[in-house]
Amino acid sequence: MLSRVAESMFWMSRYIERAENTARFLDVNFHLLLDLDKITEVDSRTYWEPLIMVTDDRERFLTLHTDFTAQAVSDFLVFNRQNPNSVFSCIALARENARSVIETIASEMWEQINRLYHFLNTADPTILQRDPYNFYRELKNGSHLFQGITDATFSRGEAWDFVQAGRYLERADNTSRLVDVKYHLLINPNKEEIDPIDNIQWMAVLKSCSALEAFRKVYLSRIEPETVLQYLVLDRQFPRTIYFCVAMLQEALWRISGSRRRDFSTNADRLVGKLEAELNYTTIDDIYQLGLHTWLEDLQKKLARIGDQVYQTYFSYHTFQDSEDVVLAPGSRSNALSSGNVKVSRAVWSQSDSSQQQQQQQQ
Amino acid sequence: MLVENSRPHLFDIYNPQTSRFYDEMFATDQTVWEHYNTLLHRFNELSPAEIEARKQIVNVFFLNQGITFTVYGADEGVERIFPFDIVPRIVPASEWDIIERGLTQRITALNLFLFDLYHEQKILRDKVVPAELVLGSKHFRREFMGVNPPLGVYIHITGSDIIRDGHGNYLVLEDNLRCPSGVSYMLENRQAMKRAFPTLFSNYRVRPIENYPQELVSILQQIAPSNPDNPSIALLTPGIYNSAYFEHSFLARQMGIELVEGRDLIVNDNKVYTRTTRGLKRIDVIYRRVDDDFLDPLVFRSDSKLGTPGLINAYRSGNVALANAIGTGVADDKVIYSFVPQIIKYYLGEDPILPNVPTYLASDPQDLVYILENLDKLVVKAANESGGYGMLVGPHATQAQRDQFAVLLKADPRNYVAQPTIALSRHPAFANDTSFTGCHIDLRPYVLYGETVKIVPGGLTRVALTPGSLVVNSSQGGGSKDTWVLFD
Repeated sequence: MLSRVAESMFWMSRYIERAENTARFLDVNFHLLLDLDKITEVDSRTYWEPLIMVTDDRERFLTLHTDFTAQAVSDFLVFNRQNPNSVFSCIALARENARSVIETIASEMWEQINRLYHFLNTADPTILQRDPYNFYRELKNGSHLFQGITDATFSRGEAWDFVQAGRYLERADNTSRLVDVKYHLLINPNKEEIDPIDNIQWMAVLKSCSALEAFRKVYLSRIEPETVLQYLVLDRQFPRTIYFCVAMLQEALWRISGSRRRDFSTNADRLVGKLEAELNYTTIDDIYQLGLHTWLEDLQKKLARIGDQVYQTYFSYHTFQDSEDVVLAPGSRSNALSSGNVKVSRAVWSQSDSSQQQQQQQQ
Repeated sequence: MLVENSRPHLFDIYNPQTSRFYDEMFATDQTVWEHYNTLLHRFNELSPAEIEARKQIVNVFFLNQGITFTVYGADEGVERIFPFDIVPRIVPASEWDIIERGLTQRITALNLFLFDLYHEQKILRDKVVPAELVLGSKHFRREFMGVNPPLGVYIHITGSDIIRDGHGNYLVLEDNLRCPSGVSYMLENRQAMKRAFPTLFSNYRVRPIENYPQELVSILQQIAPSNPDNPSIALLTPGIYNSAYFEHSFLARQMGIELVEGRDLIVNDNKVYTRTTRGLKRIDVIYRRVDDDFLDPLVFRSDSKLGTPGLINAYRSGNVALANAIGTGVADDKVIYSFVPQIIKYYLGEDPILPNVPTYLASDPQDLVYILENLDKLVVKAANESGGYGMLVGPHATQAQRDQFAVLLKADPRNYVAQPTIALSRHPAFANDTSFTGCHIDLRPYVLYGETVKIVPGGLTRVALTPGSLVVNSSQGGGSKDTWVLFD
């Protein structure tokens, strides 16, 4: 398939996934605070600021707002047009990508993404205060409906695999950020016991991944930092855990290239295989030994490099000087990035500009 | 129901004003043309609310399908449905026969004209068409002198605009030889009408148009310079921000060919390839919906990011076919238009079956005097503009606008023509949600030219939904309706 089409499928999927995750974080935070209010005096700002940290947009936020109030944060993350990671921006970008592959995707997929866009475009921003429950539910359902429609109507070819790869790469990254921020906030080294507030908060983390019920079936009521971490990072069955996402990402990438274990053919395959193996044989103690934050940051770098290699192998527009071997097989080029210069936060966090800048020029 | 029965029929209160206009439906203010009889009775059974409800069904269908166009200069996300009028236009077989023969003749002659211009230029030497008008046209591409397009065809897809005057005569208003748009609306309008009025549709013997995409793709196959058994064909679009992007994606999907942008293509050794996830794939034929100027930054506009460097050399080397060919714009220039009757006579020895609208050339000193004296009666057009831009409708203009055009005309006479204001024929349209209004219409049939000329029986009937307006372009508030060409 066309490189440009593959790239649009990949990013359409990533942006929708990102929008959904942002909606999840916000939804859960909002309800968490309803509970906390009743138990203790809380400064709600300490609960809203981390959401900005999840998406790494602190600086941009502070150019627009002075204070991390519930209203400012949720508005910034949902409706703000200047924030390229807001739910609105993500859905708008997903729609642009969908439009550019409109003849490739099923028309039902296009209609759903269009509906979601019009829903956000016409929504009254005060709904975030008036009826957040229904609003976030609508958003999550909109994303689920899109995924369901895709599942039910879209051919299982290469394009489908790029949709899967985009979704799981994004989701692995999002889950790792959520865990990172919450852990940072919740672990108080001076405290021996887990108090009820912490307990509620860990429940909230699980809920934002829709993982609370699934978690309970495994660990019953033992909601502790270790078990939650173990679950969200390493569980093999729940579809939002980091291990699961990496495994699915590997499957999708290997289907695209036709790689098998012991016989990878692209750099992206090699990196994702390596990461999967690492996670497969990692224990929670290994992670603690290195320090959770360091470990997660490293994980995010690895995901970013996989994304970059997907770009290099399949999307980047080769010129003839370097394409002699490209004609033969994807990834026969070696294009290793030195590990030092990947800026985790944004380097591979948004679509390459070439896709957007081309088009403004009209006849 | 008593109330229902006492309601006046919608067509009873329609005023066709047949003394002033040619009405497509009404022969006189009281009687309809025979082929509209069934339609009259069907619509008279309906109340405005019922018609409005059917119109809404159609609009929702269009919106959800994304059958929208983007308005230039408008804010992001401003997409509009191309307004659709639910009263179909009916063309009897005898009238279609004239249109079909007339267009076949015209397009054949124009193609011979293009071939001649880019080869021997006999017609210029014989002074049938003034050489300076051709050679001075900005759409004449001297770089393509001597290039032989496959089958000798330059204009594979055309859409001439046809109007009817006050006596009901069909006239050609302009020729669009540079990949005209709108055919997706022709096809979608038919789908919409079948949904909204299935019974009425089945009461008429309407000739089908649904085979248009197949006809188009077979022409594209015929012109493949390489790989004739299974040529690889792509539709080249400027991208999602182009106002006709929906149509590009629609046609690509209908034909089952790849939709590509300039940056998806790469040229090596004068061959064109697409960049795919599996490497490079050879392309044999490009149905391009990008203007000449933006095709190749090495040859045309170097600031264009839409094009593909090297594409033109690949074309010149005969390794890829383009539909339409390059340089066809020289023959749909509004000045050259006025010579089409002579062009037909010159190449075919025939009189034109479809006449032109009388045209005055500002470059002719005598005509210029006449134009300047009669600006309040004439329509003045810039030779190279399209889409209803750069145009003065004298009778509807202010004195200041006329003065401004007088200045333009004197400064650059080569660039302007003028025509008498034609009272375009009118057709009832459900334009104001409560009743039928007579609105001016035109007709754009789509002519395909490969090994032979083929015209799908139908076309896009555009309608000026603004009361009194003569401008039917979608960018200027026009809409469209389905066009039913009948079997004998």
